[in-house]
Amino acid sequence: MSIYHDLIDYLKESPLIIQILWIMTGLFIIIIIFLIFRLRSLRKGLRSKGRTIALYEKKYEAYLLNYLYSESDEEISASQKVIISQLKKSTKDPFIRKILLSLLVKLKQEVSGEISDSVQRLYFQIGLVDYAVARLYHKKWYVIAKGIRELNQFQVKAAHDDVMMHINHPRREVRKEMQLYMVNLFHAEGLNFLAQLEMQLSEWDQIQLLRVLQQLENQENLNIKSWLKSNNHSIVCFALKLAEIYSDIESIDEILKLLHHIEQRIRVESIRVLSVLNAVQAKYILKADIESRSTEEQIAFFAMMENLFDVSDESFISAYVDHPVFEIKVSALKILKVINRAKFDALKTESTDPHFLRIITFIEKN
Amino acid sequence: MNSAKKIVLAEDNSMLSMVLKFRLEKEGYKLLVAADGKEALELIELHNPELILTDIMMPFVSGLEVISHVRNKLNLQTPIVVFSAAGQEKIVLQAFDLGATDFMTKPLSPNELVLRIKRLLR
Amino acid sequence: MLNYIFQILIDLFHYLFLVYTVSSIAFYLILTAISELETREYKRKNSYVNYKEIMSSSKSPSISIIAPAYNESLNIVENVRSLLSNHYVNYDVIIVNDGSKDDSLEKLISVYNLVPVDLLINEQIPTMPLRHGVFKSTNPAFEKLIVVDKENGGKSDALNTGLNISTSEFVACIDVDCLLLEDSLQKMIKPFLESTDKIVIAAGGVIRISNSCIVKDGKLHDVNFPTKLLEQGQILEYIRAFLLGRMAWSRLNGLLVISGAFGLFDKKLALKVGGYDRNTVGEDMELVVRMRGYMEEQKIDYRVAYIPDPLCWTEAPDSYKIFISQRNRWTRGTIETLKKHRNIGFNSKYNLLGMLSYPYWFFYERMAPIIEFVGIIYFGILIITDKIRWDYAFSFIILAYLFTVVFSLIALITEETTYNQYKKKGTGVKLVKIAFLEPFVIHPFVLYAAIKGNIDYYFNKKKKWGEMTRKGMTKA
Repeated sequence: MSIYHDLIDYLKESPLIIQILWIMTGLFIIIIIFLIFRLRSLRKGLRSKGRTIALYEKKYEAYLLNYLYSESDEEISASQKVIISQLKKSTKDPFIRKILLSLLVKLKQEVSGEISDSVQRLYFQIGLVDYAVARLYHKKWYVIAKGIRELNQFQVKAAHDDVMMHINHPRREVRKEMQLYMVNLFHAEGLNFLAQLEMQLSEWDQIQLLRVLQQLENQENLNIKSWLKSNNHSIVCFALKLAEIYSDIESIDEILKLLHHIEQRIRVESIRVLSVLNAVQAKYILKADIESRSTEEQIAFFAMMENLFDVSDESFISAYVDHPVFEIKVSALKILKVINRAKFDALKTESTDPHFLRIITFIEKN
Repeated sequence: MNSAKKIVLAEDNSMLSMVLKFRLEKEGYKLLVAADGKEALELIELHNPELILTDIMMPFVSGLEVISHVRNKLNLQTPIVVFSAAGQEKIVLQAFDLGATDFMTKPLSPNELVLRIKRLLR
Repeated sequence: MLNYIFQILIDLFHYLFLVYTVSSIAFYLILTAISELETREYKRKNSYVNYKEIMSSSKSPSISIIAPAYNESLNIVENVRSLLSNHYVNYDVIIVNDGSKDDSLEKLISVYNLVPVDLLINEQIPTMPLRHGVFKSTNPAFEKLIVVDKENGGKSDALNTGLNISTSEFVACIDVDCLLLEDSLQKMIKPFLESTDKIVIAAGGVIRISNSCIVKDGKLHDVNFPTKLLEQGQILEYIRAFLLGRMAWSRLNGLLVISGAFGLFDKKLALKVGGYDRNTVGEDMELVVRMRGYMEEQKIDYRVAYIPDPLCWTEAPDSYKIFISQRNRWTRGTIETLKKHRNIGFNSKYNLLGMLSYPYWFFYERMAPIIEFVGIIYFGILIITDKIRWDYAFSFIILAYLFTVVFSLIALITEETTYNQYKKKGTGVKLVKIAFLEPFVIHPFVLYAAIKGNIDYYFNKKKKWGEMTRKGMTKA
């Protein structure tokens, strides 16, 4: 007891700063003890959570298999009815619902045909769909996003309007899920959300949408032309990608107009796509004012020329074999080699610049 | 009657492998299920199955490596069917270069799988 | 009179010391709070991403992995194999053999069926010339592989060669002995593609320590916690730095460093600013600072992204000798970078970069060891002259120690709630133990290495160049 009193006395007599330091020390020790216990319970919790999940997964996997293989001629067999009512009860618990959902999703993603249909039917029968639709009206964005994704995975077309409501949601994660839902379920028609989209469509979104579109069987009815006219520049970029992938010759006229778009990124992309579409008209438009365009556009233009040149371009091309930009020079030389071999060979003897000679020799050989 | 034909299935999605096992065993095959490529190789060396089904993307040892191991190291001509996801065309081509027999795209239909297996094991 | 001035100076010194300590503690606390917020947000966002989808799209942008190698013969074949096994679709691997004196090239040629190819390289950045040239494989299974053999010029020079050769939109610059997880590229590329308002110029990844982990066929099979205190201490250090420090800086968009061991860059921009600087041992940090400076000068809205997932695993030094020389090099890299870009520091034209990131690095990273060292000397003088107030000193030291422990424990808890890489039973006790021991088994050596780095930088300039042309691998 006297040590304790000594300590108290010592503290009382110490200057203020020392007192503060010791109080903080005491505080830190308490924090440390708390943190250690927190760490311990976290680690324990995580380990047991992993075990519990594995246990439940096993249990519900068995249920599902049972359900899938007790299918009979009648609509729903008696044993299936039992399983449904059991699952309905247990999915009131959000934790179990999560596990069951993940199992269903896992299966749905990997199988098609009759099993996929039964999984889908089960999803409705247990009433999981109601939980998902309810999520669309939640305050938190990540709950909404998850809800939309689930409706997408289980192809709940009926939720169209509730999902569409989130078209200009401030969180891009929500918008992305919404867009994927539309395209996955309503295919080309689903893409019509683009007309109402005010937010930017990121590259990431575009790639995902293209991936879904490319998996669809029929590609008709894409409204590429109208999207090329969009005021939303990201939609124009997306439409250009579509025009390229589907070799949409009909949109060439619209793309030609984009050669004078205010945004450089779109002009460059347009040149590239026009080249892929073999739009010779673009060549003449660009030849006229190429000098006043940015380097990126010039490079893209010469890449196009490699694809669309003809003999009449010789004098135009010859002026660029000494161009300071590497890509342009190389393109010009490649074209010249084909149009006029004698002139190309002459360049080799005329020049003494080692860099230039290196390029020439390479093009000569390849 | 000779014993059931053995099939090794390498698939990291346990739900899918259970469904397929169930479906194929109903057809009278004996299924040996591996959760990754490494396990699959062990099963193949141990049981010398009549057919191999393998997913392309798996942890540790990929489907491609399974094919290459079976064809080049074990020198077996066992038919191999690979499962791929949409958009993995390049990898499927590689799989064929390495000696895959057939491929199916996920999501896959168990009924169609059964048909193909019957054809391969005829 | 003189005595009086002396006393004022001493008081001033005390005062500054106190301000420094309090402000650094405050900074750490603020950064910790920010990082906790950011971590939660990140986890939430990522639970919605299906990485399997993006990687399978042929429209995903092209990436080149650039890996310089110097005398890596022992592991090069395995390392390359690991790099080739990434699940991303649109990528290639450029191994730059930087004048190795061993049989690295021969091994690569025979294992991967390489043949020389003719390649027209646009040498936008001057580099050392090629030696045996460029090689590609005749085996379609290795079509992603490009091997460049060049004269020795150091890590920066080798990376620049890779930048010149790459035809991709993005480059991932890495250490060749790094183990990348299979989904690393799609996770790293995501921020670049996702941002619509700002241009993402670079993305940095987390480096994890693979000592004692089981690696087979270039893949990570099992994560283990090593037994040596030095290795354990570094694991704790990395968790603290990556999960708390960098996470917070990325939230503030003030990240100055991207680990040389794994970073993804917009290639056009990296070329535009001139590529890696060959005159520093801190080339990874220097490039990021230069790119940021450039964007600020051009007044373009930009961001440096950061991906906290454990994507890149690498072997950390397991001997104090190597550890000290590594940290010595880091110190010099920091000094060189900050010195080269001193025009950015405290310059409001550079916004947050000039007014927060740079000053923070200057005071709390670059100056910290010096201030600590001066403090220790002062402490020593006080002891010798018997002027020490033990009650002050004692309570101060204990408090500083406890603060470090608290900080480490928070980092460990963050690790548990996010990536939980050390799952095994019994590791928890070891983690807590090292949180208490780290100030004794790691910190003194870090301090020593930093002081030595300062001395080497100012008084031993010759050392630098030799090291750079030989190798200069920077980890983390």
